[in-house]
Amino acid sequence: MAVSWLRQLAARSRVPVFPVWGWHDDALLARLALSSQVELVDSPRHASVLLVIGEIPAALRDGLRRLHDQLPAPFAAVWLRGAPIVALGAPVQIARDDQLIETLVRTHRELMLGQRESAPRLLPDEPPNPWKGLGDDGHGGEGMMGGNPYGRPMAMNMQNDLRDGLTLDSLTFRLGPFFPLLPAGLCAEVTLQGDVIQSWETRHAALPQRLDPIFHAARQHPVSIADLELARARHHLVQLYRALHLAGLEHVAHQAVSLSQRLTSSSRLDGLRRQLMRSGIFRLAAMDGVQLDGELASHLGGPAARAAGLEVDLRTNDASYQSLGFRPQYRTAGTTRARWEQWLGEIKQSLQLARQAERDNLHTANTGAVETPRGPWADERPADGSALLDEVLPGLEWDEAMTLIASLDLRAVADAPREASA
Amino acid sequence: MELLTLVIILSLALGAGLLIQWLPQRHQPIPPYSQRAPFLGGGTPDTHAWNRYHIRYYPMTLLLIAFEMEMMFMYPWAVVFVEKGMMAVMEMGMFLAILSVGIVYAWREGVFRWQ
Repeated sequence: MAVSWLRQLAARSRVPVFPVWGWHDDALLARLALSSQVELVDSPRHASVLLVIGEIPAALRDGLRRLHDQLPAPFAAVWLRGAPIVALGAPVQIARDDQLIETLVRTHRELMLGQRESAPRLLPDEPPNPWKGLGDDGHGGEGMMGGNPYGRPMAMNMQNDLRDGLTLDSLTFRLGPFFPLLPAGLCAEVTLQGDVIQSWETRHAALPQRLDPIFHAARQHPVSIADLELARARHHLVQLYRALHLAGLEHVAHQAVSLSQRLTSSSRLDGLRRQLMRSGIFRLAAMDGVQLDGELASHLGGPAARAAGLEVDLRTNDASYQSLGFRPQYRTAGTTRARWEQWLGEIKQSLQLARQAERDNLHTANTGAVETPRGPWADERPADGSALLDEVLPGLEWDEAMTLIASLDLRAVADAPREASA
Repeated sequence: MELLTLVIILSLALGAGLLIQWLPQRHQPIPPYSQRAPFLGGGTPDTHAWNRYHIRYYPMTLLLIAFEMEMMFMYPWAVVFVEKGMMAVMEMGMFLAILSVGIVYAWREGVFRWQ
C-alpha cells in the first residue's frame, strides 16, 4: 500500500531528465530548463529518463552505452531527432519537438506506475578486469598493491606533484563525452593529483554547435540588424545560463535563460546584472584563475578574444554598423571574470544596437562575412578550440578549470543552421 | 530488571534501524557493474578512486580542534572562577597566552592561507 502511494507521488513529480546532446540546441535547452514539468539533472543516478537529442557519432556511442546503463531502474531512453542505438528493444522515439515534454511526462508516469518495463541494459554485467579467485587473498593479483579488487587496480603514485612537491597517488580517468560540465562530445584523458589537474589530453573534440539561422542568412543576403543582435544576445544569455548552472546559482541561471526566451529590443539587463552582483559570483577566487594570452584568445575569436584585449570584430567593417556608431567592446585581463563581464557588456550592447536598428529598420551591408557569437566567420567557419585546454588546464585546481571551461565557447560552428523550434 | 529493560530497548532500536534499511532493499537486485563505476559522463577510470591525497585544510582543522578544547576548559573554569577569583583569571590568562603563541607561529607558517 505504502509503495503504491509512493509510486503515485513519484509519477506526479517533475520528470528527472539527463540530456545527451548529439546536436547542441540552445532553444531546446532553454525550453527544457524553463519547463515546470521537467527537471534537468546532472547525473544519470538522479534521472528516470535519458533524453538523446540528435545523431550520436559512432566514436561516442560506447560512452553513450555506459551512460545509458548508469541510470537506475526503472528508466527509459527517449530519442529526439535521431535514430536509437540498435541494441535497444523498444525505444521511445519522438518525431516532432512539440511532442517532447508530453512524451517525457507520459514515459516517466508509466515507468513509476509500473505500466512500462524499464529499458534493457546494453552492457554485460561483468567487472572491467578479471579478479575473483586470483592472488593469496582473492584480490585479483600478487602483492599488496598488485591486484584488481572489483576488477580495477588501485591508484598508484606515478607523477610528481606540480604544486608543492608533496607527491601522492595520481588518478587517471577519461572524462566525457557527455559530462555535463563539459561541452557535449568533448572527451579528455585527465590525470588528477588531489584537486590539481596534472595533465589533460583532449581525445575527442566538442560536437559543433548549430547557430541561429539568421547568422547563416547574413552570409547570403542583408538581414535585419535588430534580429541579428537579438539572436547574438540570446546566444550569450544561454552561455551565461550554462556557467551559472555550473556555479550552482540555479535562481539566477533560470533568470538568464528566461530572459533569453522573452528577449525583445526593449528588454533590460539591469535586473540580471543586479542578481549576479548579489550572488557573489564575481568575488570567487576561481574567476581570476588563469589568463588567456593573445595568441590563444585570437585562436578562439569572438568574446573570448575581445576579453583578452584584442579589438577584433567583423561588425566594424559593416557600413550599417558604422552608421549606428558601433565600436567593439573589449577588456584587457583575459581572465574568466573578464569573459563574464564581456558577455554582459556585449548583451547590453546588442540590445542597444537592436533598439537603434529597429527604429531605422537597418539591415546589414556586408554579406560575405559575419561576426557570429562564437567568432568571425569570413572564409572559414569558427573552428573547434577543444585542443586549447591541453595547454591551459594543467596546474589548475578543479574548480578553476571547470569555471574556465564554462567561460569559453570552444565548439565549432556547424555548416547547417539550427532547426526552427516548434 | 533494569538491565533487561535496557537490553530490550537496545534490541528494539537496533531492530528498527535494520528494518528501515532492509525494507527498501528487499526487492532490489545488486546493482550491475556499470552502476558501481563512478559517473564520468561516459568515460572510464583506470584505477579505483580510493587513493592518498593531501588534505590541504588539515592544519586548519587541527587549529579548530585546539580552540574547541580551549572552550571546553573554559566552562569548568567559569564555574570555579567566582570561588577562586583573581588566581583563576591569571591561570586562564597564562593558558590563553601560550595558545596564542601557537596561533601566531601557525599564522607565520601560512596555515591560514587557503590553497
